[in-house]
Amino acid sequence: MNPTVPLGNTPSRPEKATEVSGLTSLFAKPWVRAFMALIVILLIGMIFNANGTFFRWSAHRDMLRQTSVFGILATAMTLVVITGGIDLGVGSIVAAVAVIYSTFLMALPVPFSAASTILFCLAVGAVFGVWNGFLIGKFKFQAFIATLAMMTFARGFAKYISGGRKVMNAIFFPDGTFKYNPVFPEITDWLNSRILGNNIAIVTIIMLCCMFIGWVVLSRLVWGRYIYSIGGNEEAARLSGVPILATKMLTYGLSGFFCAVAGICQAAQEYQGDPEAGTGYELTAIGMVVIGGTSLAGGRGSIGLTLIGVLTMGYLVKILSLNAVAESTRLMVTGAIIVIAVLFQSSRRK
Amino acid sequence: MKKLCLLLGLLLIGQAVFGLQAGEKKWRVGFSQCNLGEPWRANMYEDLKREVAKYANEIELIHKDAQNDTSVQQAQIREFINDFEAGNLDILLVSPKEAAPFTPIIGEAFQAGLPVFVIDREILSDQYTTFIGGDNTVIGLAAGKWTAEKFNGKGALGVELQGLSTVTAAQERGSGFHEGIKGSDIKIIFQVDMKWLEPDARQEMESALSRFPKIDFVYAHNDPGAHGAYLAAQAVGREKEIAFLGVDALPHEGVSYVKQGILSATFLYPSGMDLAIEHVMKLKRGEKVPKRIMLATKAYDKEHPDGVTIGEPVVTW
Repeated sequence: MNPTVPLGNTPSRPEKATEVSGLTSLFAKPWVRAFMALIVILLIGMIFNANGTFFRWSAHRDMLRQTSVFGILATAMTLVVITGGIDLGVGSIVAAVAVIYSTFLMALPVPFSAASTILFCLAVGAVFGVWNGFLIGKFKFQAFIATLAMMTFARGFAKYISGGRKVMNAIFFPDGTFKYNPVFPEITDWLNSRILGNNIAIVTIIMLCCMFIGWVVLSRLVWGRYIYSIGGNEEAARLSGVPILATKMLTYGLSGFFCAVAGICQAAQEYQGDPEAGTGYELTAIGMVVIGGTSLAGGRGSIGLTLIGVLTMGYLVKILSLNAVAESTRLMVTGAIIVIAVLFQSSRRK
Repeated sequence: MKKLCLLLGLLLIGQAVFGLQAGEKKWRVGFSQCNLGEPWRANMYEDLKREVAKYANEIELIHKDAQNDTSVQQAQIREFINDFEAGNLDILLVSPKEAAPFTPIIGEAFQAGLPVFVIDREILSDQYTTFIGGDNTVIGLAAGKWTAEKFNGKGALGVELQGLSTVTAAQERGSGFHEGIKGSDIKIIFQVDMKWLEPDARQEMESALSRFPKIDFVYAHNDPGAHGAYLAAQAVGREKEIAFLGVDALPHEGVSYVKQGILSATFLYPSGMDLAIEHVMKLKRGEKVPKRIMLATKAYDKEHPDGVTIGEPVVTW
């Protein structure tokens, strides 16, 4: 692997670094540009350090935990964005899976085992994703429309299963009364815990694993080449024999699978399945992908870039939170930062 | 097709016979709900069904859910007015999504002679029969007094997790609380929005825990917020040294959290369905009903796991 591109660059369009030299060539690299946005955010954090809290590990550990669900969704989003598509259904699939996970483990008179629950949840996510890919690949639906339908359907599905109520450790009876089960499933406790001397959340490790899988797919497998070539020019890819339908079904399927992972993490961290969970998460995930420098036009980008985007947004949220900034100001600052971060990227496309 | 017609005919005859046997005319009570998707409103519907069931021989309920859409709710109220004009409705209960868009149509229903109870959210005129709703300032005040009673004199430091500082309900829950702790040595050291959401409350509480080595209590503007704060404190082993206070007191959320020892207290935001149906019955019997009923709150804590009423409903004629 090229040591100057440690985070994995786009294989289909290598940057021609040999034409320019020194600092200029460094700044031509997308990951350097993405890093600049992150560094700006970190500098802001050091200035507004909330009486030194920003310099404590706990702030960073908590930021990583908080951003993990978003990071997993951003990984899913990166894959479909590189194909030239988009996945608006990610937040709703989080809710559907969170509700299924909580129902199976807590709300049934005889709960399912942890292993079968998780397998079922992952399968549901993957099936939802494959269905998206099928509509987009077979019936030439625009990704926006197909996944918008999924966004609506999966949200309804979550509400249907849960009856519109948060699924918690209360078992309801038909007459409206309920009984409490004081013991939470072990798997939930484990997912909500930390390892390595209490220093890193399990969900953060899970996010990194998902990113590793995404990186392998994009950078090490033929599947990844197909993803880039479809995003670059679908017609050319088809003429050169890329299996468009299969690639799209698999890619959206993997996206759905990652959403299910995120849904399980969400439910475990809340100790409940909220049918309203994940509302608006798709936009945060898209924001992270774009800030990293993956192009919404498709064909260009990488998981490494998305990791930088995830950290940039994660730190921004954390710094605003540490300083107890009011919600209205947060929204304005976040909007401004997205513009600035994308400005760092834009000159590359000239 | 013939069979189907026969079946329908039989059903109609059955209905007619049954209706004749029932004797006195049942009142048909319409309920226009702005959004059944919220847990508090889902619980409100459960309360309503339970109260209506008490008078099953005298009233029946027609429930319409607008799913958080202003124009849908306006259309549904219009349908109710048409039902009333056709003699198929006797009283309307409305919990409007927002004030301004519903002021004219509720006024129109009232002018047409349909008795209208406005529930929970007010409109911008007095063109209705009765308003019944909770008072967020009263609830905040109760929470503040509870905190002052428990912590005054100890120099207690607290975190306030606001619903959304731009929303009236959150402003009132906040100002009531600050009124309640006035004169004590209690200080709020971290005050931040959590958008009524549990994951956001957890994130904000993590920040507070990183910043402040000593936190004595958390006042969250809803129970999920208090629960999220509890989970954040539990993750760093500080949940035992902090009292968590929530608002809403839904049976399976806040009240159970108190019973499980997760929250120290929660304060009821009442649905008022018991009083609403009580006053529907009064109206049916031809009695006079008040113009406004501001509901009292209830505190649930370790000493009162089943709740203790604080104050009285404020009734205006």
